[in-house]
Amino acid sequence: MIDPGKVLATFCINGEEQACAFVSHRTLLEVLREDLQLTGTKHGCELGECGACTVQINGVPVLSCLMLAVDAIGQQIRTVEGLADGPALHPLQDAFADLGAAQCGYCTPGLLMTAEALIARDPCPSREAIKQGLAGNLCRCTGYLKIFEAVELAAARMRGENPVPKRETIYGS
Amino acid sequence: MKPFTYILPRSLPEAATAAARKGAQLKAAGIDLIDRMKERIETPSEVVNLLSLKGELSYIKSERDSGLRIGALTTLNDLELDAALGAAQFGALREAAGRTATPLVRNRATIVGNLLQVTRCWYLRSAAFGCLHGKKGPACLAMTGENRYHSVMGYFDCVRVHPSNLAPALLALDAEFTSQLGDRQSRRKLSELFPKEARAMLAEHTLLPGEIVTAIHVPAQPANARSAYRESREKLSFDWATTACAARIVVEGGKIRTATLVLGAVAPVPMPMPEAAKLLIGEAPSDELFQKVANAAYQSAVPLSQNVYKVQVGKAVVRETLHAITR
Ligand SMILES: Cc1cc2nc3c(=O)[nH]c(=O)nc-3n(C[C@H](O)[C@H](O)[C@H](O)COP(=O)(O)OP(=O)(O)OC[C@H]3O[C@@H](n4cnc5c(N)ncnc54)[C@H](O)[C@@H]3O)c2cc1C
Ligand code: FES
Ligand code: FES
Repeated sequence: MIDPGKVLATFCINGEEQACAFVSHRTLLEVLREDLQLTGTKHGCELGECGACTVQINGVPVLSCLMLAVDAIGQQIRTVEGLADGPALHPLQDAFADLGAAQCGYCTPGLLMTAEALIARDPCPSREAIKQGLAGNLCRCTGYLKIFEAVELAAARMRGENPVPKRETIYGS
Repeated sequence: MKPFTYILPRSLPEAATAAARKGAQLKAAGIDLIDRMKERIETPSEVVNLLSLKGELSYIKSERDSGLRIGALTTLNDLELDAALGAAQFGALREAAGRTATPLVRNRATIVGNLLQVTRCWYLRSAAFGCLHGKKGPACLAMTGENRYHSVMGYFDCVRVHPSNLAPALLALDAEFTSQLGDRQSRRKLSELFPKEARAMLAEHTLLPGEIVTAIHVPAQPANARSAYRESREKLSFDWATTACAARIVVEGGKIRTATLVLGAVAPVPMPMPEAAKLLIGEAPSDELFQKVANAAYQSAVPLSQNVYKVQVGKAVVRETLHAITR
């Protein structure tokens, strides 16, 4: 049983144990951003309708705005802050930057976490699989094409290939 | 959200005892419940977390008679991907699960949480309005207000819509459910989970306070049965259905031998349509026949000021469903 009010718990976030005192009725999104200062995860609609708040729990992408923080105790939480390896960006982050798959960037952390789980499950995803897999992450800026291409490019680089993006992917047609 | 005491039961009996206390609310993944609690239309003093029983209540098992037993906490993603649901007879359930919401929702949303989610009526789900359904307002505000997503049939004093994709699919497959109330277990037809007359003052379901659904049973289907689920909606992803249809059919020797047909998203409860389904029996599949069945299914429709479109679109979805099965 957890009483109303503050609780002290240890979360496992991005491979590290972090102790945190938080109010027990907070969502995981609120605790990540406001109690742990991990503000990479974005606060969008709070209704499950945008995907900006996506994090991974045990490798599965989920919406942190509709999940109680107490339900994440004892689970492996991964946020966008855990993608880069020190100063080296994750291949997905590199590909998003190379192809301009982020404009305002608000959707980007959520998309990266969903895409990372997708590639982990399917290292060579088809365009259709990428579209289906990312169907829970809204982007209001890019029109999605560059995001799909960036996921394809990152997946190819992670397989050890080094494809050259098409000219129109970078400069437009 | 209003603060609450969080109960982490270690066993089903413990959960049942906790859930029976006044002010207690059961929670599975919480995708529907947390949303209502954030809006403060639900303010439980205790939340009983069923996810503590995930080990016990999350499974898809094939029964000896080739039916399925599905644990209450099984996710929609599991339903979509499990090989046991690959057979054509279970197509309706697999398709209904796979078309729900988004992958990010399906990764956590549970089968029973989906069946028991509360209507999406924007008046009910907003703390700014008090309506007849559940919140002690004087009238159903959608009846004469903004009602383009509301009911076209089966309503009395409240035109809310039952939002679950899985409900019509499971009803078309003659599903049953097991529940636990205190130390008593009972198994009933899934149709008994929903009120017969969907009055405003009744909940979306017929469970008693503290009653926990533990499993859904999909019985062995008739030999050569095939089933499908189709829906209309405004967006490709994220959206609840505007109309839905699930059906199960057996065709033998070119003629339809048995048929079930259930409509979703058009009434305060999922709507089995036995009379319309009967028109299929003994006939050879054809578009003409399916049009007749679709017309019969929507014969009792009395649309509201903004949702006349549902009748036309709903009929097309019935035809599409029947074609998908008999193709
Ligand atoms: C953006 C978005 C789009 C969506 N689109 C669709 C859609 O197209 N079609 C559709 O059908 N759904 C849709 N949904 C709804 C979603 O499928 C449900 O919210 C989800 O399945 C609820 O499951 P849960 O485990 O989170 O339930 P919870 O929120 O935990 O519970 C829901 C209700 O059921 C009760 N409950 C749960 N489990 C049990 C049990 N075992 N015994 C007794 N009571 C129980 C709870 O007390 C609560 O009142 C959508 C949701 C979102 C956020
Ligand atoms: S903030 Fe969680 S889905 Fe929009
Ligand atoms: S880059 Fe602005 S929302 Fe996606």
